[in-house]
Amino acid sequence: MSILSLSHISLTIGEHRILSDVSCSVDQGEIVGLIGPNGSGKTTLFNVISGFLAPTHGTMHLQGSDITNISSSRRAQMGIGRVFQNFGIFREMTLEENVLVALEALPKADRMQRGNLRKIAGETLEMVGLASHAKQKAGSLSGGQMRLLEIARTLMSGKEVFLLDEPTAGVSPKMTQQVADLILQLQKQGKTVLVVEHDLPFISHVCDRVIVMDTGKVALTGKPEDVKKSKELRELYFGADPTT
Amino acid sequence: MLPVAQSRGSALRGVLLLSPVQLLANALIAGSLAALIAGGLALVYGVLGVFNMALGQLTLIGGYTAWWLHQVAHMSVLFSVIGGLLCGALMTWITFEVFVRPFYKHHRFLPLVTTIAWSMILDGFILLAFEERPRSILSEAKSMISLGSVLISREQCLMIVLTIVALLLFAWIFHCTSFGRKLRAVVQHESAARSLGINSAILHRVIFIVSGMFAAAGGIFIGIDQNLSPTLAFSLTIKAYAAIIAGGKGNIWGAIVCAYVIALLEQLLVGIHWFGAFYVPAGYQQTVALLFIIVILLLKPSGLFRSFARTA
Repeated sequence: MSILSLSHISLTIGEHRILSDVSCSVDQGEIVGLIGPNGSGKTTLFNVISGFLAPTHGTMHLQGSDITNISSSRRAQMGIGRVFQNFGIFREMTLEENVLVALEALPKADRMQRGNLRKIAGETLEMVGLASHAKQKAGSLSGGQMRLLEIARTLMSGKEVFLLDEPTAGVSPKMTQQVADLILQLQKQGKTVLVVEHDLPFISHVCDRVIVMDTGKVALTGKPEDVKKSKELRELYFGADPTT
Repeated sequence: MLPVAQSRGSALRGVLLLSPVQLLANALIAGSLAALIAGGLALVYGVLGVFNMALGQLTLIGGYTAWWLHQVAHMSVLFSVIGGLLCGALMTWITFEVFVRPFYKHHRFLPLVTTIAWSMILDGFILLAFEERPRSILSEAKSMISLGSVLISREQCLMIVLTIVALLLFAWIFHCTSFGRKLRAVVQHESAARSLGINSAILHRVIFIVSGMFAAAGGIFIGIDQNLSPTLAFSLTIKAYAAIIAGGKGNIWGAIVCAYVIALLEQLLVGIHWFGAFYVPAGYQQTVALLFIIVILLLKPSGLFRSFARTA
């Protein structure tokens, strides 16, 4: 069953057409990789889905509800979570406060249902092995730890769809595995994940399906192993092969 | 012991020989006023990344409203003060809705121009409505308290205490409550805060209005301690900006500390015989804030404390 669907999304800023007639849908519990060369519109598409940019044309639906004209904060409350390429953490706040503020931003009914938010914040940090740093400022963490904190925070704030923008950028190989495990754990909980990534082995490891973008359009879609073998992908990343 | 000089304080204090402790007390009074205005302004800069150049005029409107309610409408001091705060909040809300909100999404420097225009309109309005004559909220003579070598009025004591209470209350809200955490989240990474479900648009509005109430409180303090005059607006704005720039842009506590430092430097400049029998004329007091910014920016361009530049 489709949890998120985009229909004919286009975005023009000034003279530039950034996204052009993008249509796709993502099923509940699916992990979808979004790949493509720099400037192909992957992060822009995330910005449109999370409500930071309004599309010029097209519509978006989340669990059947039209979210095209809904604010980013409302979309977050409806279940869209975002992990940013440049670390969306609050560096001057402690790790505990980083998680706490995410829980406190939930709709009142959800907050009441969860009970002691400080306890949940502690459990969240425990889950990613950061409990001993709970009272430390988040800015003092390493890149990998920041990424784990951000993903765990989004995970615990009860989102249904996760938009992860280059979650392994600036992360050590060991922590990359931890990030992959966390994403697979999300899937086990029935969550849906869209992940922008340049690391193709990582994409092959975690994704059920891959969408390849080029110049603001969907160029190709399919299973990771099929897409990896495709001539179109090689051309996008390495240019046309003159021998063929 | 430091040399002494003639005070330029309120007419009620008359000619005083200033001891170092009296200089500090005067700095505490002037600093409390500046801290209220600069603290609110720093918060606005931290959250929205915009400058409100009509701040000095909004400060005066708070003061003049309290004056009008007490002296013309004959309301009690308490109701006049509440009226002044509410009018300051209302005018700040109008400033936000008409002169800031439609513009800052396009470019955060646009409100710099629109609020300068608004400040000029308000200058004209203040001059028309309240005239150029000095206005004091309290007409009766102030009772002075002598604390050792320090002479201070009851109203000034109250002003210092209320400022400290307001700042402590604000510190508690900012650091220990859910609202404060959301506010800090928006200051530090607005996009991330929005993606968690925090409605930053409401916070922007609330913060702008709170800063206006702080400024109005400053105006009321001026009207109680000294005299309100339409020409004060510019120097109030400049002092507040000096404090927030020197304190590290967006750093509220840095701005508050710098507001007190500037007030102390002002008192030291005019309160001491720096050149034997010659002292610096009181008119030069206004230049302290500007010199302070220049020196700080030369030595430490990012400000004395860490700048909380907006991430997104």
